[in-house]
Amino acid sequence: MNLFKKDTNENKSQADLLYEAQQRKQSLFRRNVILSWVSLLIFLIFLFSGIEIKSGDGVTSISSWKFQIVTENDREVRKRVEDTLFSLPSGLPGNGLDFKTITVDREFIKENIDFVSGGILQTIRISILAILLATLLALLAALGRLSTNPFIYALSTFYVSLIRGTPLYLQIFFFFLALPQLGIVLTGLWAGVLALGLNYGAYMSETFRAGLGSVGKGQREAAIALGMTPGQTMRRIVLPQALRFAIPPMGNDFISMTKDSALVSATGFVHELMWRAQKVGRAEFRNMEALVMAAIFYWIMTLLLTSVQNQLETRLAKGDR
Amino acid sequence: MTAIVKISNLDKYFGRLQVLKNISLEIQPREVVCLIGRSGSGKSTLLRCINFLEEPSHGTIEVDGVQVESSGKGKEHRQLIHDVRLKTGMVFQEFNLFPHLSVLDNVIEGPVTVKGMDSNQAIALAEENLDSVGLLFKKDEYPNRLSGGQKQRVAIARALTMQPRVMLFDEPTSALDPELIGEVLNVMKKVAKDGMTMLVVTHEMGFAREVADRVLVMGEGEIIEDANPQDLFNNPKDPRTKALIDRYRIGEQ
Repeated sequence: MNLFKKDTNENKSQADLLYEAQQRKQSLFRRNVILSWVSLLIFLIFLFSGIEIKSGDGVTSISSWKFQIVTENDREVRKRVEDTLFSLPSGLPGNGLDFKTITVDREFIKENIDFVSGGILQTIRISILAILLATLLALLAALGRLSTNPFIYALSTFYVSLIRGTPLYLQIFFFFLALPQLGIVLTGLWAGVLALGLNYGAYMSETFRAGLGSVGKGQREAAIALGMTPGQTMRRIVLPQALRFAIPPMGNDFISMTKDSALVSATGFVHELMWRAQKVGRAEFRNMEALVMAAIFYWIMTLLLTSVQNQLETRLAKGDR
Repeated sequence: MTAIVKISNLDKYFGRLQVLKNISLEIQPREVVCLIGRSGSGKSTLLRCINFLEEPSHGTIEVDGVQVESSGKGKEHRQLIHDVRLKTGMVFQEFNLFPHLSVLDNVIEGPVTVKGMDSNQAIALAEENLDSVGLLFKKDEYPNRLSGGQKQRVAIARALTMQPRVMLFDEPTSALDPELIGEVLNVMKKVAKDGMTMLVVTHEMGFAREVADRVLVMGEGEIIEDANPQDLFNNPKDPRTKALIDRYRIGEQ
């Protein structure tokens, strides 16, 4: 029976069949991961939906709150918009189920979404400038770490130690508030870019160093035996391989930096996402709505960055498997 | 006939340990020389000194008329070392193919980057050499898709495409599964037959006996025996050589 079946698949070897089974298993796994993601997302949206479920007298009612207002005497007054969405008879005993999810003020979000999202561009600008600076510094510091010149080696380790040994928050304020005492006045944006770039450059230099260390000695020897100069060996053989190794942790650093750009809002002069969210949130005491909005924008940005990172990884992994 | 490789009074220290002791050696053009000996006897170090992957402590290396003193320094010295490297091709125990480049790119990397060869010309030369090691059909694959034997054959093609005068082999079959050794040795025989000067560090006594014009035996940093294979295998003079050959005979039975 089995043999007969094999004959009908005469073009397919056993390896092909095994491979297909493996592929099916993998695609099933991917599908289930996506389904689970969607369910978790739906649950999160539900948490913020303002739906109230009350059950009593054999009837379960589900209703939706549009918004809540806190008055001066701090008393919660709820305005019920859609009174009862629907009620359904239920076998649950009276007072069995009674809960309400988080209510967000949708009117407020509608009014302020344009203002908050106006900060996205500024956030992206800070992140890109800081990423460029950090990558350059990280590469220099990592190469300095390989140098046989004691001064260059010391310079690189000194930089990494100093910057990693102090808080990013402090560095931002140092560039923004302390440098003017020396007559150097930076705008909030440039203070932020400099601090973020210096900070992440120091962390990423370790990533690069690990990448450079991952390229075996034999690779350098093969290049040298072919007659390559140290510069050619580094550019053509070592760096491309080191980069492939360093891409996943670099992506991590980029994502992390994009979010840390929120700290620049503390200068009060850079109107990026976080600054705008805080401003409108405080003005109308709608901090939750404002922060949730900003959180969604940050999340979308990091999702995009992650997908870019994944594509780069696949492209660079050509010789890997 | 003038020697193509000439090593005079070569010493090499690793820290305080002397691994090469006053070695002098000449290799004639088109000669195939096998270097055997127990591990730790200094045979790989000797080979690696020839193209300056190891810096000799004392002595002189001359390859095809380019003479380098170990005491040399500065830009001129580096240029001489570079010239020597262009005249020698090296094949490593661990293949050391570049994993981020396809087979063809591995082979043309040297000629294009180092010699500045026109890429069409380099590709033609590379394809010729890949064909001669029997792997032209793998030219677009990446090294990780090749077996160990195939990797080593590509590595040989890569070294040949630099058009060296001398080929250095550093235990080219020691990292291979036994069933893959034959294909690499066959390629090496072919290279020898084409008239290449070869210095081969190896544990393959069969290959040494069959292909080598001369076999050098190393022990404790010195060349303890230098003879043609017939004499060496039938009538070893040094007891250390005898021990090596006896072990090979036992393995053969």
